Amino acid sequence: MSKLKVTALAFALIASFGGTLPVQADETCNSPYTTKLIKGQEDFVHVWTLGVKGMGDESDKLVTVDVNPKSKDYGKVVHSVTVGGRGEAHHTGFTDDRRFLWAGRLDDNRIFVFDISSDPAKPKLVHTISDFTQKTGYVGPHTFYALPGRMMVQALSNEKDHGGRTGLVVYNNKGEFVEKYDMPTGRHGDVMADGYGYDIGINPQKNALLTSSFTGWNNYMMDFGKMVKDADAMKHFGNTMVMWDLKSMKPQKVMNVPGAPLEIRWSLKNGDNWAYTATALTSKLVLIKQDAKGEWQAKEVGTVGDPSKVPLPVDISITADAKGLWVNTFLDGTARYFDISDPEAPKEVYQKVIGSQVNMVSQSWDGKRVYFTTSLLGNWDKKGGDDQQFLKLFHWDGKALSEKFSIDFYALKLGRAHHMKFSAKPVNTAGLKERVAELASNR
Amino acid sequence: MPIFRRVRTAATALVLGALLADGSQGASNAELAPSTPHQDFVAPAAGSYRLPPIQRSPNGRVVDIDGRTYGLARYTRERITLLSFMYTYCVDPVGCPLAYATLTQLRERLLRRPDMARQVRLVSLSFDPSHDDAASMRMYAGALADPKSPVRWHFLTTRSVADLKPMLDDLGQDVSVELDTRGRPTRVLNHMLKLFLIDRDGRVREIYTTAFLMPEVMFNDIETLLLETPRAP
Repeated sequence: MSKLKVTALAFALIASFGGTLPVQADETCNSPYTTKLIKGQEDFVHVWTLGVKGMGDESDKLVTVDVNPKSKDYGKVVHSVTVGGRGEAHHTGFTDDRRFLWAGRLDDNRIFVFDISSDPAKPKLVHTISDFTQKTGYVGPHTFYALPGRMMVQALSNEKDHGGRTGLVVYNNKGEFVEKYDMPTGRHGDVMADGYGYDIGINPQKNALLTSSFTGWNNYMMDFGKMVKDADAMKHFGNTMVMWDLKSMKPQKVMNVPGAPLEIRWSLKNGDNWAYTATALTSKLVLIKQDAKGEWQAKEVGTVGDPSKVPLPVDISITADAKGLWVNTFLDGTARYFDISDPEAPKEVYQKVIGSQVNMVSQSWDGKRVYFTTSLLGNWDKKGGDDQQFLKLFHWDGKALSEKFSIDFYALKLGRAHHMKFSAKPVNTAGLKERVAELASNR
Repeated sequence: MPIFRRVRTAATALVLGALLADGSQGASNAELAPSTPHQDFVAPAAGSYRLPPIQRSPNGRVVDIDGRTYGLARYTRERITLLSFMYTYCVDPVGCPLAYATLTQLRERLLRRPDMARQVRLVSLSFDPSHDDAASMRMYAGALADPKSPVRWHFLTTRSVADLKPMLDDLGQDVSVELDTRGRPTRVLNHMLKLFLIDRDGRVREIYTTAFLMPEVMFNDIETLLLETPRAP
């Protein structure tokens, strides 16, 4: 074979890889280490759902919805895995190879591991971690963020006083404890570190691990109406973000970000050095970016709604091209779209009421499909008729959202719809044995 | 030049071309952003941090380029080991060729530090025992498998999928065969690129996927492990 032909063959094979290449990021909120990007149509949305006393089986569950418009089950619940009991189901995260979904509970500290890849239409509970607090002293496993071969978990609280001081925990993908890291406390430069935690965001090119801060078990398990009238309770919210050296897992800088900075979204554009967060209590958009000297700075760059009315910004979702940002405000049930082409000057260009309350937002990689769910925390959700619990899909044409389906989780006796993750059916792959059989047949 | 060397050379050239192209592109669209690693920070100094043990490396039967069968543990103890899975005809620009290019860079760095080089080994273990037999691996390895080199680079395969799969599963290394439009297996093995850094006691201490393949950082990780207190005899 000539060298030219070999090169041509190599080119052809590379071209043939198409969408199967490992990629830098997934649907925009996932860890950059998560592979198997769904560039096209997602097939399923998995909703980590809080059980409700007196409703259905009353237990927390992973609900799977068929979202492929070509499917006969489009817009329908096709599967549900009950995990038993109610422990404040909250967030989930894929392992780096996207084969398993880890899902946490903030009250009883259990972590459930579901096999998603074997049959995405029917996730299977394969492992439960029940000694999170015994191993770490932390309470409230919140964020699940894939590292290569490992899962990093951000906790919200601790077992000593159930306040906001907490830490990060690393497990291997088998679910075995690897290491824990306390959130920084005490004075760091001009800032008093509060030791609180909430979300995790990593920029691999910068060796940068960014964390935010919320509140402890005492508050997140308290009735919302009671808490906001409790002046002392309201003092116990996070006011900082921490930039860590990812390799050494040492805090590099603690930044003042008052008002409970929650979700972290790095720009996924190659070479960008900035991330966004929104503060729940002060309704600010905050840009975390390196200055001219390369030092990380947190800067308020905009407001969300009318901060005096405390609309309570919750989940945010950045577009893949880092030009747009969805921001949900829980109390008015509104989704707001910001043009962040200039990240220093975000502009709200669209808003729509999604329901009486709205919490999570997840968008497809192309930004054309936007999913919303409703539950914030079991004791923080609205009461009575305002306690709507749904999964809604909207199409986004760049100007307006148009509703495609709505699934009422209460009508189906499922519970409170919280965190969402996408999956897709495996396409055109088989196990190694098929390769062996193919070779054998050619001999 | 043997056919496998030529394929590898062509593939490596393509990888380097792709890297250069991506690096100058600037990628205004995130979907077009290069999937190849880019280091925009100074690597923490060796010994200034700790790499906690992640898991034990598995054992299992492997075959060297002379066709002899050994336990994998023979290649994951006593020296610091960088283990990766590959197959000789892989041309994914961010797959095996990228791992090969990274390992080659690391090897060159190590050869400039003979004190370190003799305490480190590289291991490439094939995903495809049916195609990559000992002779294929020998041809692929060429001079890199020279046993006199201070940095030993072992090119291994297995006798069967049954021998291989438990090791893949234990390390969490996924792999699947891509099928063509008629459902027939192709020559493409989809896998997540992973390199496993293993200490002298056979414990995995770091795992590098594509975003982490930064030779400077990897070199410091190796030195960090070498700086740890040696085991008592």
